[in-house]
Amino acid sequence: MRYRRPRPSLAQGAATTLMFGVLVFLLSPLLVVAAASLGPGDRPYVSFPPAGFSLHWYFEVPARYWQAIGFSLAVAAGTALASVVIAIPAALGLVRSSFRGKTFVALLLRAPLQIPYVVTGIAFLQAYYLLGSATGLHLRASYPGLVLGHLFLATPYAIGSIAAVLARLNPRLEEAAASLGASPWRVLRRVTLPVILPGIYGGALYAFIISFGEVPVALFLGGAGRTTFPVEMFTSMQFDFSPALLAVSTAVLLISFAVLILIQRSIGFDAVVRAGSAR
Amino acid sequence: MRVRWGIVMLPAVVVSVGLLAASQLVFLRMSFFHDRGFGLIDAQPTLGNYLIVATDTFYLGSLYLTVQVALIVVACSLFIGYPVAYVLTRMPARWATLIIAAIVASALVAEVIKVLGLIVIFSADGIVNRTLVALGAASAPIKILGSITGVVLGLLHFTLGFVVLLLFSVLQTIPASLEEAAGVHGASPLRVFWRVVLPLSAPGVLTAGLVIFNLSMGAFTAVSLLGGGRILTLPVLIERTMILETKYAMAACLAAVLLGTVVLINALTALAVSRSRFAIAGSLA
Repeated sequence: MRYRRPRPSLAQGAATTLMFGVLVFLLSPLLVVAAASLGPGDRPYVSFPPAGFSLHWYFEVPARYWQAIGFSLAVAAGTALASVVIAIPAALGLVRSSFRGKTFVALLLRAPLQIPYVVTGIAFLQAYYLLGSATGLHLRASYPGLVLGHLFLATPYAIGSIAAVLARLNPRLEEAAASLGASPWRVLRRVTLPVILPGIYGGALYAFIISFGEVPVALFLGGAGRTTFPVEMFTSMQFDFSPALLAVSTAVLLISFAVLILIQRSIGFDAVVRAGSAR
Repeated sequence: MRVRWGIVMLPAVVVSVGLLAASQLVFLRMSFFHDRGFGLIDAQPTLGNYLIVATDTFYLGSLYLTVQVALIVVACSLFIGYPVAYVLTRMPARWATLIIAAIVASALVAEVIKVLGLIVIFSADGIVNRTLVALGAASAPIKILGSITGVVLGLLHFTLGFVVLLLFSVLQTIPASLEEAAGVHGASPLRVFWRVVLPLSAPGVLTAGLVIFNLSMGAFTAVSLLGGGRILTLPVLIERTMILETKYAMAACLAAVLLGTVVLINALTALAVSRSRFAIAGSLA
């Protein structure tokens, strides 16, 4: 008797339905935000489905939101760059060296992953206050202060992403280059770095996304004129809700998806997914 | 010439561990002082804040609520995410890739934007409540925002993508031929799942559960906005204590309690796992 795969059962049907339910649940808020942003400008509250079509609210977005988006982009870019600069040597050391206490060092490097963001926010703020009163260097509400806070959140992801690619790297490539007379620095620059580039991109992208999306750390560390976009949104959603929030969110969504499509075209989503599951 | 990679990584380790030590030591030290208001503290260290947290039902209730919400979210995420990830591994690769791309895309969007959409959908006159009332399932709009239900929905929106992606990568490594082999030998689909698929994916389920637990314990944005100031979990309470009440030492103490709870539960889980592995190894020997 030949074995036949069991016919699609009730359980499989239910699981497939559940999957579409999850997709709808995950994607509908984005569609609703975009659709409701096109509502008519004659009423200051949100309605979905929109009662008409207009671009009214896109012209009502206060200038401080566009400024916040610009500031967020700058912080996220700085965070992505700095986290990769730290993560490349850290990942090289974690994968290639062996010394007593390496497990402990690896544990310390991963520690920020377990610390709740609110705790990181309050810890950095109090450290900045202490530093400020001791040396006069005030990092609160400054660009370097925010980048440093986000660097703390993002570096473990960047290290994980790069280490994952490094661990799979074929050592013969580097041996071949070295045996042909390349110096260690030249091997690193011409062989190792190009091969682990997807991991570097993945880590940088993940750092960028964390920095551009998180609220609690930027809420504590930001301040007058140094407010990130998510914090600006967070404050407005609590205290002065307006349909203009939908318009500016839709603009950010469109930019994000345009960038994501560019990334998919150039390096692929694989690197991103790997970075995300590296923890 | 051999490269000493341990030396190469030294500056990076110094920066990372420096940030870790500096920030954590400062707030932990701060938690042992008494607030005088307006961000000022007494000079004498004391255990007072911890005693207040350990005895005051308000703070204990907040800790309990935080753990409760996190456990509900872990349970819901795993129960929903597992079958979804399983279906994805057993469907044509082209479709699975498309659906995973959609999940990744939604996971990458800034949380505030997703929460904004959830608020529009679940508000009193939102599409969900109007549908429920129109269908006669509810006589009046249900209060979802400002309740635990709303907070859990918001956190699920955050965690489901994580769980599905993580479990997908785990379930993908279980070959379908194993299930077929069990089926050939007469195991019912339920038995195949219970005896083959679930045990092989158990470590992945545990990892996913722990990641979700940590995320939910520390969740701030979604809980603040969807809880409408009524669901006071520890992260929300910490922000209030620090910014509205400017009690820096008390906020630091609450942060230490939150961090301690998370670290303790992670350590206990790791211990339980290593014990059970020894137990399995022992029974085989």
